[in-house]
Amino acid sequence: MTSYSKEVIADLVAGTLPWPQTRRVMSAYKDDDRFFKYVAVLQNRVGWKDPILLPVSDHLFICQSGDERVTRCECGHSFGDYRKNWKLKAAIIVRNTEESLREIYPNSDIPDPQWMEIREFICPECGTMHEVEAAAPGYPIVHDFQPDLEGFYREWLGKLL
Amino acid sequence: MLDKPASALRIRERLIESERLMEETGCYDGITELQLRNQDPLKFETLHTKLRAYCVSAREMARRISASPGVREVGEMVVAIYTPEGDAIALSNGIMVHVHTMSRFIKWMIRNGYEENPCIRDGDIFANNDAFIGTVQVPDVMDVVPIFHSGKLVGWAGAVCHELEAGGITPGGDVALAQERFTEGLFVCAEKVGENDEIRRDYVIRCERNLRMPIYWVLDEKAKVASCIDMRESVKALIDEIGLDYWMQVSKEFIEEGRRAQLARTRQLTVPGIYRGHTFYGHVTKGKPGYQPLGDPDWLYNMPIEMEITTDGKIIMDFEGTQPWGYHSMNCTPAGMDGGMFVTLTQHMNFEGLVNDGAWMATELKLPHGTWTNPDNEMVATATSWALLLPAYGVFQRLLSRAFIGRGFVEEAFVGQVNSPMIEMGGTSQYGKLFGMAHFECAAAGSGALAIKDGLDTAYVGWNPESDMGNIEIWEQNMPMLYIGRSIVPNSGGAGKYRGGCSFVSTWLVSKTDHLRLVTSEHSSRVFDNGGMCGGYPAPTCQKHRAVRNSNIFELAEKRAPLAHHTGTNPHRSELELRLQGEHVTMEGPYITAPHKTGDVFTHSYNGGGGYGDVLERDPLKTAADVENGYLTKEAAEGIFGIMLDEDEEGYPVANIEATKRHRAEMRARRLAQARPVSEWIASERSRVEKADFAPEVTKMYASAIKLSSRFTREFSDFWNVDAKSIFMPGAKP
Repeated sequence: MTSYSKEVIADLVAGTLPWPQTRRVMSAYKDDDRFFKYVAVLQNRVGWKDPILLPVSDHLFICQSGDERVTRCECGHSFGDYRKNWKLKAAIIVRNTEESLREIYPNSDIPDPQWMEIREFICPECGTMHEVEAAAPGYPIVHDFQPDLEGFYREWLGKLL
Repeated sequence: MLDKPASALRIRERLIESERLMEETGCYDGITELQLRNQDPLKFETLHTKLRAYCVSAREMARRISASPGVREVGEMVVAIYTPEGDAIALSNGIMVHVHTMSRFIKWMIRNGYEENPCIRDGDIFANNDAFIGTVQVPDVMDVVPIFHSGKLVGWAGAVCHELEAGGITPGGDVALAQERFTEGLFVCAEKVGENDEIRRDYVIRCERNLRMPIYWVLDEKAKVASCIDMRESVKALIDEIGLDYWMQVSKEFIEEGRRAQLARTRQLTVPGIYRGHTFYGHVTKGKPGYQPLGDPDWLYNMPIEMEITTDGKIIMDFEGTQPWGYHSMNCTPAGMDGGMFVTLTQHMNFEGLVNDGAWMATELKLPHGTWTNPDNEMVATATSWALLLPAYGVFQRLLSRAFIGRGFVEEAFVGQVNSPMIEMGGTSQYGKLFGMAHFECAAAGSGALAIKDGLDTAYVGWNPESDMGNIEIWEQNMPMLYIGRSIVPNSGGAGKYRGGCSFVSTWLVSKTDHLRLVTSEHSSRVFDNGGMCGGYPAPTCQKHRAVRNSNIFELAEKRAPLAHHTGTNPHRSELELRLQGEHVTMEGPYITAPHKTGDVFTHSYNGGGGYGDVLERDPLKTAADVENGYLTKEAAEGIFGIMLDEDEEGYPVANIEATKRHRAEMRARRLAQARPVSEWIASERSRVEKADFAPEVTKMYASAIKLSSRFTREFSDFWNVDAKSIFMPGAKP
């Protein structure tokens, strides 16, 4: 079975593993022990103790916080129950004018703000931008991911939560 | 009549029986145990490797027979080997989107009584390009031949090439002006086009008399038939070696193994649950010359997608809430949707196990009847089905990537890339002849970012994983235009910690013709169609087209004065406007106008990919290199990424780390100051929703989604706490 050290996984996640080695990881058989090493690498990165149960984005994790399971920013800010859309508890910047869109697209053609806007979802505590949605005005905010956490641990990882 | 099938049943009965067994057991053809694999795994794997080698070898041979630069240069071709019932056992590299669409074609013939009429015999050749039978769009022409052994039907060999000219209302293959199927071009509807291994002369004559450039189509036919015969003979020799009974069983076990491997991969790489995403497609057609009355309005398409990964490892994609089919060329058939699923899976997950139709059987598509994904009218046009198909599967790429990130396989997470506009042309060539062709350099746009690195610059499209733009000289041989530039477009990848891959722009001088019709398709700049992930921004919209008629370029060249080789980075004044005199044209959306002639200049640019991660985390050193190489401008590095650059003694950009830290801290503080709670935004935005205070196209989009989908209506109403039906469909029954 393919397996990598925690250090290699840490470098891979950080994007610092040299490309030839990264390429070999991509082409090789996948390592069945990846998940728990990955979570351990991420756990070392965060400044809080609550155990990470599942990463959902680059700096966003579902973690066990006392009796609750919450979505939490890497800085520690909690967005509440993981079964609810964390975006509804985030801060938002909406780009729906030519001027605000031009800040991101200085030389390209830009969308018609009457047809489309950009929504930036930001951690209200540390200012990390967790997601960007491009949507028509009036479009409901999407709930990106509702994991079957129990099923994942019980049936795929063979471990109870 | 059919030479005897390998089982006692006729092939149609065998197909029904196979489907019944799958329904009852959950396993392909009722194969609950991989007996042959268990007996001798090495023999089992070796045989499949041989079949794959037959396919790859046959495809390479066919590419050398073809005259089309689309097939020769870009590799727009795939071949595969099928069971007698039409399920793919093994396939080549190439445009594997068609592996399952060919399966649909074979099954369609079987279901429609081809055993009796026109009969299926050894040496027969069948062709099809009808998307309601099994392909994606008219230019995707497929040929299949039955494989007989000892007088029995034991399989099929199939090949597809993307033709550069299909004989439609405009030259090329992606006929953007098609309002219904009657203007899309030459249809071959599951026809027997050859016998005794020879293509029928009357079929060739039909092609010659209905296409602007029949050499592409006819030589591709020969290339495809040659590859099919090559595969057929190889399979027959293999059966001589291993025995017919073994072949009949092992070919089915290959597919069941493929199904199990896909389920296992999903369980290994992903996380079960519900994933959601959406994208949009905008098309600006209103009042444009050539559009027929029913196809005239501007369009905004909404594509919400819900993906479920079950604990069994099955992937289910649901398109409920999307738009109805329309009188335009962007509709797609279930065959095309299957193809999109297959090409995405083969790129993102099928890197272990046996890759064949088994992978497709481990998935499920929910395509609501009456929508563009599954029109309830077979007269609709599908000539530019990629326009909607690719953005939709771009969402699928991002949903899968979310799953890979959850599981820790960050090296597989890929924001993807969804579409690239195509340019097609026709009229009088530089040789003074009638011509028509699609320019396929679009097969090398910029990819989305990965979760660990930047995207690929000018090297990716969703539909062809080989993605080759082809040599300039080859394209110049085939069209009356000369390149005066092919350049990277700075800032064309979506911004992010890892940026999307950059796109390119081509600039041409129309040469040696007084009649060149240029037609582009598949995009407008009104919306984003390449999203970002995890805080990365979408890639820029598709760019407008810029042309100069009656330019003074020859005079400038005579004087050795500077020419325009690209559009430049000033959004308000292009390099063409700066350097060339003449009649300047800037057009949004499809480019459809009167013919061009010698001395005119035209530009066309392609898509970049979306970004990954927060822009304020981008590596300053990498960014300095990007600025040096023209992928980013210095202004973008500072304004978007917060990266301050100085110059070294030789004038090259170098990152100022301390200044960058300070600037980024200010940007982060400004971001926090500008942002407001989402709950506040929802409360203030609700009044706009209640009044449907939107552009007409947006209001129409919501109205049509609400009409078709009770789920979309419910979700919209619940989110905004409004009655969506009464807002967008006033007067409708509750």
